[in-house]
Amino acid sequence: MSKKIVILFGTESGNAEFAAEDMAADITDHEVEVVDMTDFEIEDFSVENFYLVICSTHGEGDLPSGAVPMLQALEAENPDLTGIEYAMFGLGDSSYENYSKGSEHIDQKLSALGAIRVGEYGRHDAHTGTLPNNAAVDWTIKTLDLIS
Amino acid sequence: MLSDSNPSFAIVGSGPSGCYTAQFLRKAFPESLISIFDRLQMPFGLVRYGVAPDHIGTKAITSQFERLFERDGVNFVGGTEIGVDISLDDLRREFDVVVLATGLSQDRPLSVTGGSLTGIYGSGRITRLFNGHPEESLEGVSVGESLVIVGHGNVAMDLIRLSLLGPEELTGFGVPEGVAKTLSSERLREINVVGRSPVSEAKFDIAMINELAKIPNVKFRSDAVEVTCDTPEASKRFDAISKLVSQSDPQATREVIFRFGWTPNLVGGDSEVEFIDFTATNGPGKLRIEADTVFSAIGFMEHHGSAIRKADFVTEKTDLANGYLSQGLYCVGWLKRGPQGTIPANRADAKLVSDRIIQDLKI
Repeated sequence: MSKKIVILFGTESGNAEFAAEDMAADITDHEVEVVDMTDFEIEDFSVENFYLVICSTHGEGDLPSGAVPMLQALEAENPDLTGIEYAMFGLGDSSYENYSKGSEHIDQKLSALGAIRVGEYGRHDAHTGTLPNNAAVDWTIKTLDLIS
Repeated sequence: MLSDSNPSFAIVGSGPSGCYTAQFLRKAFPESLISIFDRLQMPFGLVRYGVAPDHIGTKAITSQFERLFERDGVNFVGGTEIGVDISLDDLRREFDVVVLATGLSQDRPLSVTGGSLTGIYGSGRITRLFNGHPEESLEGVSVGESLVIVGHGNVAMDLIRLSLLGPEELTGFGVPEGVAKTLSSERLREINVVGRSPVSEAKFDIAMINELAKIPNVKFRSDAVEVTCDTPEASKRFDAISKLVSQSDPQATREVIFRFGWTPNLVGGDSEVEFIDFTATNGPGKLRIEADTVFSAIGFMEHHGSAIRKADFVTEKTDLANGYLSQGLYCVGWLKRGPQGTIPANRADAKLVSDRIIQDLKI
């Protein structure tokens, strides 16, 4: 039985959420759920799900405000995430220093807790003037091919 | 009459706070009538007319908002001024809930002697010109050799950068040619950026300072002084300015000088600006800068000609913290909070006010 796909987004201005919605719309052969990191309970991490994590960057390479509660919860409770598989897609803007570093805070913590990152670390650069949606959807398709 | 399951919503203003409010309300009420009204024909408010034309990554959020109209069944009613074309009373009769998201579109004026001499322009106006606003004209606008920008928040930073980019690059970002040539004048040699706060409290985002380093042919100077008791957070601002200054091109023919801790006192000249006098915010110092052009970037307020003014709707039941004005009437964004915070702050505000609206509809 194929895993349920949980798309976890960390957003500041809604762009990561916007891309997450498009990613979900393009997934047809798995059950999908889109969850705001702000609303995600870290006890809900389950090996039955595959996590697509999409997160933007804010300020000086920092996490977006939407992702902060989840990182704080992970740091406070240090759950054992052995067996959890996830893939990362980071949003950034190369006109800033500390390009695309926001998502890396989450990636580093998940790995440190035993979760395994699968596939290519996807990136989108807002300085191209394009939205991340198409890049995120393309990356989603490639990533899900790896786990099927 | 209130329809229990599908209340109807009218949002006045299609800038970020209005559009984010529509997003959150649409999620909570998938079947409801939601209409966003805007005085102008083209939607999106400050994203279109306030965000600098070269900040294309930021401008791209309009795609999120376009989806409201294209896919999510939200109506956009442009060219319609509430209070003029449709009365607010009529709107409140037609819709269960009305949300005012009209922002603050008037520049706070430089309220000093000489504040209305020729050659002084509000930053909002200049930014609207750069963005091709339909109601702005270049009539009477010119930029000379020596510009003083009063204020050192992000709007001031935008104006430094845009003034120095040059007409070719600006037109590449969609700035109308006449505007690009006038505002990014070849004659411009010196920009003094003068704010009343010390560097540690200056309102610019550090990323905006770092961005200035990419402009060619500019030498940066500053009168900022490092204060040893500053917190690490406050020191970051001094460090960012210092780095900009130290990496400056000493051969550059254009100069940007940051001055901190100065409050404007007087603008001098016959009919046109010739100089501007400052006094130290704390202490006895005085500063005179010769200038032929002044941009004031000291914040925004409600437009004096606005048909709808927030104060008219405040009652004893008003709870401005979550945007509740009175039965079925709310406010969001800068109109509610004042002219602080960029797009993410207004998204958070839209969430807060939407939550209050949803809660009120459940009672």
